Amino acid sequence: MIANTKEVKDKGFDIKRSAEEIRNLSFKDHVCIGCGICESTCPVEAIKVGNIGPIVRNEMDIPKLEIDEEKCVLCGMCSGICPVNALDFTIDNKSISDIDTYPKYIASAEIDDETCIHCQRCEVACPREAITIPRSLPERSKLVTGEIEVNEDTCIHCGICDEMCPTDAIDVNRIPGEESILINKDKCVYCLICKKSCPVNAIKAACRSCSYGEYDIDMSDAVTTGSSFIDDETCVKCGWCEEICPVDAAKVKKQFKGTLNIDQDKCTTCGTCIDVCPCDVLSFPESAGPATRVPNVGKEEQYCIHCGACERACPTDAIDVKITDVDYTPTKSKSWVDKFEALKNR
Amino acid sequence: MELNVNQDNCLGCGVCVVACPVNVSISPEVSGGHGSRTEEIIMMVENGVIKLFSKEKCEKCGTCQMFCPVDAIFLE
Repeated sequence: MIANTKEVKDKGFDIKRSAEEIRNLSFKDHVCIGCGICESTCPVEAIKVGNIGPIVRNEMDIPKLEIDEEKCVLCGMCSGICPVNALDFTIDNKSISDIDTYPKYIASAEIDDETCIHCQRCEVACPREAITIPRSLPERSKLVTGEIEVNEDTCIHCGICDEMCPTDAIDVNRIPGEESILINKDKCVYCLICKKSCPVNAIKAACRSCSYGEYDIDMSDAVTTGSSFIDDETCVKCGWCEEICPVDAAKVKKQFKGTLNIDQDKCTTCGTCIDVCPCDVLSFPESAGPATRVPNVGKEEQYCIHCGACERACPTDAIDVKITDVDYTPTKSKSWVDKFEALKNR
Repeated sequence: MELNVNQDNCLGCGVCVVACPVNVSISPEVSGGHGSRTEEIIMMVENGVIKLFSKEKCEKCGTCQMFCPVDAIFLE
């Protein structure tokens, strides 16, 4: 954290900055993706982004970026231009992302709860583990209908039905003198395996769904309910959730448009880019069979946020990431516009 | 952050030499496990232990460290 009060001396002038407002810059290391955009944007070269490759790959216990507190003028540009909001700049405890006069990226990720069927595909796919889809499943007993009964006099408590039951609905106590058999009707699906496997025909069971249809089943009981949650702090708006969602409930808007090119001749397959990419865009392709050639590193560009972290980390300059379009809220400040536009010439 | 070696730990296996992407781009034959034809590369095994030749060429990707079985080569 960097606090305020700064005195700038220049050719005999004493330029003091008003300390009426409290300016603060804080950094969230676990959010930082090491793209280096803050480093190239900082107007006073106060930021140094570390070598993200070894930090991520060897789990080194050092911060991903360092800020020279002597140089920092607390302008807040690094915070505004960070594509993943790893740097938070506040004025009088109010984040500049909540102050309208400061520009910010137009980017979002949303899941429509009305459309979502709670399949959790996005939760599994999210490279940043930013999505949680808590869900409650329907009760099994409400989706089947039937009858089951044990004749305790005939039952020899052999335990065969207990072992065979696919839903663990039967509990047989085989200890001599304490014999018992219990059937849990909430778990039973009337598959009739117990009835068929019982050596002494002690179980009577019938599945009503098979013989009679599903007339006494209320299909509204069969619905999985739940909700969705995207952690805005860790989400990088990569688009995995949108691509993988089977019902188009997830919508992602990215701040950058651009291109990602890999020079396969320069690539030596060290894998640094794959480990560094925050969006699981890059991977080593599987062989397509004997006598076929696959690229050294494959890409799924639809998930790319064009942050350039891979380009920065690549030891052989084999990757070229270009930003062609930056989407941000309008601002009157020419310096801010210049910095946002400069991302296209990185 | 710079590249360091600990020759006391080194087994001389040469995995770092082959894995290093910069080595491979300077001297392509090392990728096949052959010795380098040039001393321009970053590191090489000499007399059974690793030796740094051109440390300044290191691009700090961390590949050597990841593959080294005994922490004999590392970025610090």
